[in-house]
Amino acid sequence: MSAIKKLFGIVWSLMGIGIVPLAIMQAMKEIAAKPSEENWIFWSIVIVVLMPIIAFSLITFGVFALKGEYDVIE
Amino acid sequence: MARNVTNVSQTEEVSSTRRVIAASSVGTLIEWYDFYIFGTLAKIISEQFFPKDNPTAALLATLATFAAGFVIRPFGALFFGRLGDLIGRKYTFLVTLVIMGGSTFAIGLVPGYKTIGFFAPAIVFVLRLMQGLALGGEYGGAATYVAEHSPDGQRGFWTSFIQTTATLGLFLALGVILVVRQTLGVETFSDWGWRIPFILSSLLVGVSIFIRMRMSESPMFAKMKKEGKTSANPLAESFKQKDNLKMVLIALLGATAGQGVVWYTGQFYALSFLQNACNVEFVQSNVIISIALLIGTPFFIVFGALSDKIGRKYIMMTGMLIAVIAYRPIYTMMYNEADLKQKTEIVDKTTVEKKEAVKGTDNIITTVTKKTFVDGTTYKETKKETIPLDEAKKAQLAAAGKLKPETKKETTLPQDIYYKMIGLVLIQVIFVTMVYGPIAAFLVEIFPTRIRYTSMSLPYHIGNGVFGGLVPLISTRLVEATRPAPGLPPADPLAGLWYPILIASVSFVIGMLYISNKTNNMDVE
Repeated sequence: MSAIKKLFGIVWSLMGIGIVPLAIMQAMKEIAAKPSEENWIFWSIVIVVLMPIIAFSLITFGVFALKGEYDVIE
Repeated sequence: MARNVTNVSQTEEVSSTRRVIAASSVGTLIEWYDFYIFGTLAKIISEQFFPKDNPTAALLATLATFAAGFVIRPFGALFFGRLGDLIGRKYTFLVTLVIMGGSTFAIGLVPGYKTIGFFAPAIVFVLRLMQGLALGGEYGGAATYVAEHSPDGQRGFWTSFIQTTATLGLFLALGVILVVRQTLGVETFSDWGWRIPFILSSLLVGVSIFIRMRMSESPMFAKMKKEGKTSANPLAESFKQKDNLKMVLIALLGATAGQGVVWYTGQFYALSFLQNACNVEFVQSNVIISIALLIGTPFFIVFGALSDKIGRKYIMMTGMLIAVIAYRPIYTMMYNEADLKQKTEIVDKTTVEKKEAVKGTDNIITTVTKKTFVDGTTYKETKKETIPLDEAKKAQLAAAGKLKPETKKETTLPQDIYYKMIGLVLIQVIFVTMVYGPIAAFLVEIFPTRIRYTSMSLPYHIGNGVFGGLVPLISTRLVEATRPAPGLPPADPLAGLWYPILIASVSFVIGMLYISNKTNNMDVE
């Protein structure tokens, strides 16, 4: 079980890292295609609020899992 | 003799716990009521305070709706959580109640945009932020306070009463709004009647403050304070120390994020889907949700109590898994039941009424089309065209594409489909009770008393405020992305479900892998 937890730690970290360029690129693409106020507000919320929370929590959680910090919680 | 003394002592303990539960739950319920009436009346509030022709006011409207939900709630969790761990639970969640009640009452009294101009949206915006701040501090305090009064082995049961308050608060908000609206009539309600639910809050909060004033401090916190063991810096201890931070992360990613999206989908998204995708008439859609909430609410207590027997983890994870699997089939059924294309129209009964009236400088043309279907469904479409009498202005608006009519679609479902809809929403409410019923006990048990208020409040409000609170925004966006062209229906009206499905799936995997099921036996101290 510990090995699986550690292995998934890599998955969570990669997801956390991957979401940053993915969200920024999508925001730039959509705003460039239609620079409406609605688009700006939506992507500002995603980039400023949601993305940092997901990225920080997944990366930190993944690193903890990889280091075996959650092995003791049986 | 000894047995009699034990029995008396146990009876007193249960009676005292009941008083604690009642006092805490009533206050928390009122806070949720206060928070939801703003959201439920968002359209009217927008017309009164945030006119669309003023871009700054329109921006404030959007920020008021979302900021209070996801930026301010976690901030309130940190601010009041810290206070609660420093000075005590009782006074902190008394303060949150006063702030929430005061803000709600004040919103009901603020003059409209027409009277005081830009001050109106600015004042309402600040008051809405105060509401979010108070809500951020309330829940953690109430859950912690009740948990610290609850005996071991019954924490899931007792804290589940706090868990019913969010749903009952929504039910109360919907109920009060419906009653006032039906009593005064739609026009009077839109004019000034909408203020009544806000003003009514002061009465409810007054009673709750009186009850809470008479309560004593949590015994665990009082003991810790007496021994001088309280935390000097709860924020640093909660989020800078690895042992606590890792529990905050597991609480967020493995529990509250998934719980938040399931909660919002089963209650808010279901209502929005009924009204916008299925076009179910305002009163009927609200009654469907209200009945489902009322029938489903006791299950919070059922699953809370069950979590004391079999553990918190498997109940919460089962709720998330079934939700992930069942959402699309449930919403497909809801959509199909209300889809007029799949019904046979009784053409003879179709009526079209057209009225023209001059109002100020405009000619208003209202066309009302009524249709009846074989299964008993009725449909009413009201098309309102506002055409300026001045030809030059008319040409100018037509060139800018601003002469589009406002169309209101209202489907009234027959009895059998109406009951089916209640059943389909009820299933979703049951998922909500599975993930939400045991979560207060789960959260209080993974953090130590000295930093519990701070540590549990943040993941709860990020999970619910951010991940859950964004369900309407992101889901609407996902549906819009499938619309082939403006004015055409979306290709996949269920696309909005992918957001809660994705978040709940990730939360399920993390929860299953990393959360322990043994928390029900942990010592809260």
